[in-house]
Amino acid sequence: MAQHPSHDPSASAMSLGARAAYVLIPLLAFACVLWIAVTQPLPLDITLPWIPALGVELDFHIDGLTLLMLLLITGIGTAVFIYAGGYLAGHPQQNRLFILLTLFMFAMIGTVMADNLIVLFLFWEATSLLSFLLVGFNHEDPKSRKSAQQALVVTGGGGLALLAGAILLGQIMGTYSIQEIITALPNTEITPALTTALVLILLGAFTKSAQFPFHFWLPNAMSAPTPVSAYLHSATMVKLGVYLLARLDPGFGDWMMWQWTLQLVGSLTAAWGMLLALRERDLKRILAWSTVATLGTLVMLVGKTGHGATVAVSALLLAHALYKAPLFFVAGNVDHGTGTRIIDRLGNLRHAMPWTAAAALLAGLSMAGIPLSFGYVVKDVVGQAGALGAISELVKFANTIFAAVAVAVAAVAAVRVFWRHPGHNLTPPDAHEGGLALYGPPLVLAGIGIVLGVFPFLADGLMSLAAHAMTPRAEAVAVHFALEFGPAALLSLATTLAIGALVFIYWDPLHRRFDRILAKFDRSGSLAQYERFINGIPVLAAHSTRWLQGGDLSQYSLVLVSFVGVFMGAALVAGWSQWLWPAWVMPSAGFIGACVLIASGALLALFQRDRLVLLLSTGLVGFGSGVFYLYAGAPDVAYTQFAVESVFVIVVASVLLKLRQRGRGQGLEQTHSMRGALPVALVFGGVIAVWLLVVSGVEFNPQLHQFFGQVSVPEAHGRNVVNVVLVDFRALDTLGEIVVVTLSFLAAIALLQAVRGHAKRQRALDKTKAGGAA
Amino acid sequence: MNRRVVILESIAGPLYVTILLASLWVLLRGHNEPGGGFIGGLLAVTASVLWAVAHGRVAATARLPYGSAMRLTVIGIGIGVLSGIPALLLGLPYLTHLWGHIPLGFTELKVSTVIIFDLGVYLAVWGGLAGYAIELLGMDEPDAHDDTAADAAQELRA
Repeated sequence: MAQHPSHDPSASAMSLGARAAYVLIPLLAFACVLWIAVTQPLPLDITLPWIPALGVELDFHIDGLTLLMLLLITGIGTAVFIYAGGYLAGHPQQNRLFILLTLFMFAMIGTVMADNLIVLFLFWEATSLLSFLLVGFNHEDPKSRKSAQQALVVTGGGGLALLAGAILLGQIMGTYSIQEIITALPNTEITPALTTALVLILLGAFTKSAQFPFHFWLPNAMSAPTPVSAYLHSATMVKLGVYLLARLDPGFGDWMMWQWTLQLVGSLTAAWGMLLALRERDLKRILAWSTVATLGTLVMLVGKTGHGATVAVSALLLAHALYKAPLFFVAGNVDHGTGTRIIDRLGNLRHAMPWTAAAALLAGLSMAGIPLSFGYVVKDVVGQAGALGAISELVKFANTIFAAVAVAVAAVAAVRVFWRHPGHNLTPPDAHEGGLALYGPPLVLAGIGIVLGVFPFLADGLMSLAAHAMTPRAEAVAVHFALEFGPAALLSLATTLAIGALVFIYWDPLHRRFDRILAKFDRSGSLAQYERFINGIPVLAAHSTRWLQGGDLSQYSLVLVSFVGVFMGAALVAGWSQWLWPAWVMPSAGFIGACVLIASGALLALFQRDRLVLLLSTGLVGFGSGVFYLYAGAPDVAYTQFAVESVFVIVVASVLLKLRQRGRGQGLEQTHSMRGALPVALVFGGVIAVWLLVVSGVEFNPQLHQFFGQVSVPEAHGRNVVNVVLVDFRALDTLGEIVVVTLSFLAAIALLQAVRGHAKRQRALDKTKAGGAA
Repeated sequence: MNRRVVILESIAGPLYVTILLASLWVLLRGHNEPGGGFIGGLLAVTASVLWAVAHGRVAATARLPYGSAMRLTVIGIGIGVLSGIPALLLGLPYLTHLWGHIPLGFTELKVSTVIIFDLGVYLAVWGGLAGYAIELLGMDEPDAHDDTAADAAQELRA
């Protein structure tokens, strides 16, 4: 909770004008979306070429679902930008927050507009990364950093699964276009590969939308500043998983596996999220758990079939954004005005914060589903959709818990904090209302929710467009929201309100009971498993480092050589029947001479203990290879080999000599041999030798050879083919190579300077010591 | 400073020039005979290594063109990059090499952007690898300016 905006006037605060300028960005985007909605025929397709060679284009597709998401992203975005201007006024890093929020908004816009799975994935990952930066905005707080890491590991890991699933799906379907895929999917045979792709995509969607068992990251992400929580963790980003599922629903919707998984996971998340909300004392975390529960309900609804379900999904997406974002703003205002979000320390705030109280009440009405709020309309639609189809009993049960606890949570946020609650009260003495930027956005958003509740037909057009986009056969969906006051609707309303009121009244005893029961699961819950996983990484790394990198160079060589030996040996054995042995060719005198040089150098090195002589004898091997190249018709390579070998031997010899001057690097005192080294070396040498024989047995493909031989003189005016290739045909590669030479020089210089600096300090230290002794 | 080796020092001068001339020859003949910028540059590196062994790190660095390995290698890259520009001006793909013939009466001289590019490779390899080798060879040598100055100041105070 250490996220109080600092009011230090000396900090480089943003001017009002700069904040207003930032608000213009989402506002303009919102205007653009409205313009598209009013003037353009939907669906609208836009294509920009990007990587044509891979079939990846920047395909954008705007239909009703995208439009709904775009309206949420830019509309709630405008409110969030205004709110952030007031909430973090005077914060030295407010500018950073605005930049991150702007980037995030564009990443979101890209995700919901993309029609290409790969493009969608890229924007999706961008939202995960920006969420990491935004959750960790208060990066000096270790709790924030930990939450940010948690959010990134969970959603980023899910993102990887999504990428794998997207590629697999694209390969199976032969296209990456989402529209083409969902059109073709119902007529596609169900194969194990397709099921794997589906499971991977579900993993990506479930992690993003905090579904069980990945639900734990969302409440922990509440250490973000309130504008971020309202924007990312209630209104937009966490809905991306739902969005992706809804997007793919026309394709996968008929699969039993799809329906069952979504309904089971969604219902479980909805019920579990609401139960966990009862455990919390922190207003923001309570709201976060109810968000998790709503996401579960949305996922469950996507898993349902029929028009009613698609309408319910779009209506709940809109309604939730319209009440949850204001409630987060309210929580932020309470924190801002009193310095705490713990509900035990709050009460009777309506006198000190009248506007915030009004906003809380309006949003609370919608969340609780009281008549004349949009929440009531939506609850009705959701209830009808949930009662249809398979496993309806479980769904109905989860739905009841969800709706009842939603009433209680709304009452906690709106009534308990702002009105007197028996047993708890006392307004914190310093409670105060914030500026217009703080209470304006929640009031307006919650107000829209009420307007839509009184005149529900206003949402008809948008909802039918969105539902239409989620319908398999793309038939138009007629939507007529109306205020229903039938006996069934009233009965269900009365039941929910009664249970909700009971939960609200007995919140504290329930809280204590639940805390005690659920604490038993803490050690085996998914958060604990996650912690175990994260803490296991350094332990595993330490183990593997100790095992593989003991610090002994000969040990490293042994590991490397045995790995390569076993790996290549296995490949050799596996393809044994296919290898051809090369024909015997009588070697020339030069070949034999080179081989003698190489072999004698290697054998000499074997029995040397003096490092300098060892170096010289390995130098023999290098020069022997040079001679070999000369006779093999590669004089350029031979030249290079000679020059490199000379420089290498001179430099290393000089370093060794200097070491020797200081009494170090004499070499090994006694014969040193490692256990198992000899057989490993023999096997490795044997494997490589057989490989070389086998490789030279393969018929040489002279195509390139002939091509360059023919065109070298007429096209590049040079007879030295090697040089012509280097400086003409592949000149750009060569340019890259000399840049690499320079870069490695730069890197080495930094290292050598550091060593020299150390040596200099050592010398100075020695000198002062000597001076002191004298 | 290390112990001086008189024979090496006196032979280093003529050898340095000879190796550099040889490296230039290898560079220039590269297009038709074995050789080229990479090999020429490596040969030039051996010359610098020789100077570093004979006269030390500071002297060898000073002896490099432009007096600094870093400058030399960067200039090499610059020349390589620039040699592709003329092709761009003619609307050809970058690094398409242009050839021209200058008649000299008895024979004609072929000139090309290829040799400019190869010169860039030569300088970049020379600068990068020679700088690396010289630094390694002179690891224990104090810097020319700062250390001696500090020592002198310390002696004065004493």
